Amino acid sequence: MGWLLVTPALVYFVVFLLYPALSALYYSFTDWNLRTDAAWVGLANYADLMFDDVKFPHFWKSVRVTLQYTLIAVPLTMAAALAQALLVNAIRRGQNLFRLLLFLPVVTAEAAVGAIWRWLYDPQYGLINSVLGLVGIPGQNWLNTPELVIPALAFISAWQCGISMIIYLAGLKGIPTTINEAAVIDGAGPWQRFWRVTVPMLRPTTFYLLVTGVIAALQVFGLVYVIFSGNGRSVTGGPEQSGLSYVLHLYLFAFRYDAMGAACAMSFILLVFIMIVTAVQFRFVKQEAA
Amino acid sequence: MRRASIYVALVLLSAVSVVPFLWMLATSVKHGQDIYTKVPNLLPTDRRTGEWAATLENYDYVLGVGGLGTAFVNSVWVCLILVPAKLLVDALAAYAFARIPFPGRDKLFVVLLAGMMVPAITLLIPRLHVTQALGMFDSGWGLIVPNIASVLDIFLLRQFFLTIPAELEEAALIDGAGRMRVFWRIVLPLSKPVLAVVTITSFLFHWNDLVWPLVVLNDPELYTLPLALQQLVASPDGGRAYYIMAGATLAVIPVIAVLLVFQRRILQGIAFTGLKA
Repeated sequence: MGWLLVTPALVYFVVFLLYPALSALYYSFTDWNLRTDAAWVGLANYADLMFDDVKFPHFWKSVRVTLQYTLIAVPLTMAAALAQALLVNAIRRGQNLFRLLLFLPVVTAEAAVGAIWRWLYDPQYGLINSVLGLVGIPGQNWLNTPELVIPALAFISAWQCGISMIIYLAGLKGIPTTINEAAVIDGAGPWQRFWRVTVPMLRPTTFYLLVTGVIAALQVFGLVYVIFSGNGRSVTGGPEQSGLSYVLHLYLFAFRYDAMGAACAMSFILLVFIMIVTAVQFRFVKQEAA
Repeated sequence: MRRASIYVALVLLSAVSVVPFLWMLATSVKHGQDIYTKVPNLLPTDRRTGEWAATLENYDYVLGVGGLGTAFVNSVWVCLILVPAKLLVDALAAYAFARIPFPGRDKLFVVLLAGMMVPAITLLIPRLHVTQALGMFDSGWGLIVPNIASVLDIFLLRQFFLTIPAELEEAALIDGAGRMRVFWRIVLPLSKPVLAVVTITSFLFHWNDLVWPLVVLNDPELYTLPLALQQLVASPDGGRAYYIMAGATLAVIPVIAVLLVFQRRILQGIAFTGLKA
């Protein structure tokens, strides 16, 4: 009976999860595209990715882009989420309304987000430059200036901080009011209470958001794919590959250049990297707690 | 004073979050030339005379020539079939994992959870390969079958089922009700909150999903809405923001409607599951 009920899910799991995971590992050691048989090449894909800058001229660039994006977008998004949560938590009337408004960007499809922000960032008629112009800041060609691409993308990520905001808000509600009251009695000001009570009490939430945020940021794809669609730009991932995220690079090699084996190798490098980064974060938190 | 400044800050932040949507909506109902103004204009007015000049011609274009009409219908179909089917598969498995002892159950569950750790991108290519081998490449089935279960949803449902007092079910079983009857008549009705959360998040995910349709579809007739929108952005029309914003509006309206109707459930659900949509 039990087996019967789990059978559909189990078949799915084996066919679309377990087998793909194992075969991705196998194919990463082969020269392969979807139409031909795979030819075993050992570690050649991994070696080529890292050392052959004729075959894969932008591999390290995509690594740098992704790390930079992660280092900027994750803290920015978490800070925005915490600020919003603190503000929403501080009011009584209108909590639901503000929560809802701040949450809107999250439920929006990546394709729509990319489309909307391409237009917002438009150098001539985009809303961003118009608003900056009103306060006397010169407009920028955001998505066509290599140094500005990552900050522009990170800002979109922070715009979508609603989920983290809701999770922070739940964390804030979980802080017993007695602790804050005790701090007030002991003469702690709002600033001290924030750093000595709120931040330490939110540590598990922050840790959770950090781990999941880093994992998501390292895999950023849909947004850059749409942002740099069209005008022949999608091939390179933005001006001077400044928006060529790791997964976009992977996608291009898999589906434009038919190098599925190399793409599988890239996906395993990412898998291992994510595991290492996550393990380091866990280790770091354990040490802090001890 | 302090309270006032908090509200001011919240209004400003909410504006940052909402104005892009108003801008999208305004652009989508403007006549082509009217979007090119030096001073930003959130109202659809004529750029010379300043008179009201809203139009639906951009929607006409993207729904027809732009292919978004077909895509909208496709997206609706996929969600109508996929979301309930997936919920059923997941709920059945979750119930077994929660309540029905069978040999190897708990080990199997741990293996399933471990599978969640593999990044989606690692699975993408071989999953596509399997889909091809099953003859579902470039078909509606190819959108549905490879997404028909979710380990995360099984996990969430199981955790909820575990909180239902087992005595309720045992009483029914002693009275001669079968397992499936107990499942339909007792467990599912008591699980409405979690079923709602899983249904809504799964709808949002598949309605918005770009990556899987992008790799599994070739035929433009089968495109889902996000893919059709991306293709519109990539086409020569990509520079025509009034078309693109009409397309984006079509993609965004249904999810905003769902959010407005189910806001309580969605926000609570995220708070207690920590779900990343």
